[in-house]
Amino acid sequence: MAQDDNLNGLPRQKLIEVLESFKDPEVFKAVTGPWKSRVVWQDGMRAKAYMRNHVTEMDEPGDLTATDVAASAHEQLLSAMGSCITVGFIVNATKRGVKVHDLEVVVEGYFDNIRKWAGVEDVGNPGYGKISAKAFVRADSDEDTLRDIFRLAVEGSPVTQTVRHSNEVITEFEVIS
Amino acid sequence: MAQIPLFPVTTVGSWPRSTSLIRALRAKQNGEMSEADFDSVADQEVISCLRSQEEAGMDIVTDGEQRRDNFYSYAVDKLTGMQLMKVSDLLDYAKDRARMEEVLRALDVPAFAIKSPIVVGKVAKKNGLSLDEMSFMKKHTDRQIKIPIPGPYMLTRSSWFEGLSDKVYDSPEELAKDVVAILRQEVLDLKEIGCDFVQFDEPILSQTVYGEESTETFMCAALPQRRDPTEELEFAVRLMNEVMDGITGIRTGVHVCRGNWSRKEEVLLVGNYGPMLPHLMQMNIDQLVLECATPRAGEMEVFKEYANEKEIGLGVVNPRTDEIETPDEIVTRVKEMLQYFDPDKIFLNPDCGFGTFAERNVNTPEIAERKLQVMSQAAVKLRAEFG
Repeated sequence: MAQDDNLNGLPRQKLIEVLESFKDPEVFKAVTGPWKSRVVWQDGMRAKAYMRNHVTEMDEPGDLTATDVAASAHEQLLSAMGSCITVGFIVNATKRGVKVHDLEVVVEGYFDNIRKWAGVEDVGNPGYGKISAKAFVRADSDEDTLRDIFRLAVEGSPVTQTVRHSNEVITEFEVIS
Repeated sequence: MAQIPLFPVTTVGSWPRSTSLIRALRAKQNGEMSEADFDSVADQEVISCLRSQEEAGMDIVTDGEQRRDNFYSYAVDKLTGMQLMKVSDLLDYAKDRARMEEVLRALDVPAFAIKSPIVVGKVAKKNGLSLDEMSFMKKHTDRQIKIPIPGPYMLTRSSWFEGLSDKVYDSPEELAKDVVAILRQEVLDLKEIGCDFVQFDEPILSQTVYGEESTETFMCAALPQRRDPTEELEFAVRLMNEVMDGITGIRTGVHVCRGNWSRKEEVLLVGNYGPMLPHLMQMNIDQLVLECATPRAGEMEVFKEYANEKEIGLGVVNPRTDEIETPDEIVTRVKEMLQYFDPDKIFLNPDCGFGTFAERNVNTPEIAERKLQVMSQAAVKLRAEFG
């Protein structure tokens, strides 16, 4: 296993220190939340999401009469899940001193009943009923270790576990005159 | 051309790479190993590969493409102006990423695992594509030597990528002029240093003919737009004949198959040689090195109207299976082809290599060697009957 401090593009020792600091209640409180996004409608089905100093565009496919200039929100949910697993894999690999050469996560999902979104049916779940994720990795370690790192990445993925578990979602609405 | 027995036995090129060789290759590519250190590892692997072929009775040997990442990507090391790029890198430049994604999912492969040499500058040769391979083999075997090199169509189509290559060459046709000149000089140089057989690899011709959008295969990572198959075949013939114009005194062949990156037969292309033969027969080369053992290659009757027009390098064993074909099965297959070709026109070879892509060996060296052995045993039987 690699012992270099800089591993997978990360300062390994510093990373371990940062992760250990999560035991500190103050740090824990700070990283727990709130995490924020502000989504501003642009035109048609386009929207922009502002997160800290970052912005992501969202749109819908042209066959829904949208302009398709960006991925849709639900696709970005899949991407968020894949990205979260990717980060988790790299973090756990780096902690263990495993050099990763290549990593790709392929995510896909099927809606349970998208007719509810379209408003042509009232029942059912319009969301993804099933999401699958497959990771491809090339790394300097044995398969058992890599499988364990993948397990930790999935089990520790905030996005994946948010998707996996029923969560309380509080919605509010206000009309501005 | 040098004398050779009836029904010569040979390979298509690649041999399974060992884990240590693959590690060395990656280290070299990552700049962690020098060329010289890599060569010392590869030299031993080539010698081992030559001994395996000699012991299995091959009349014509290759170096197993042990020094190559794959059968055409190695051009990156041999030519200026080319860069080995992963499909995952090309996604940033692709015009139709959605289509590339469909293909990746259909093949169940990661984008980082497929690499292609992409033209990013003026293409010119350094010290030849395979002259070093040839020189090394010459010192270590007394058998006839075959050198597989990428065909002009393959090298042109696979390396021209819109968004990257068009900054240097307006079109694949412009790039082809330099590719033809390089390959032509390569054949002349190989002949000069004693190469017996140059095989041009043109597997993406089958992609052109049989591929549909839903079954795009990434044999050519540059993902050509669907083009008219006849125009593409005519382009391939023109390029090959420009390479070969006036060259004699060395055996040449063109290899076509339907993909060799997976052991799942269902993901590989299907179709007989009928649509291709009128064009392949126009190529100014001696031999067609063809995949024929797999049922996906279709019926052999399509060769009827081209009887004896060229030599046939007949694929008689499937490199992707664990089952070892029997000599009698091979003899039966050859006799089928003997309806259309004389005994001195038929060579025996596997359908393709045993490790076309360095990290995707399609078989073990042990099984590969046993498959070569049964080919040799079949050749002995055939020589006894037709010699």
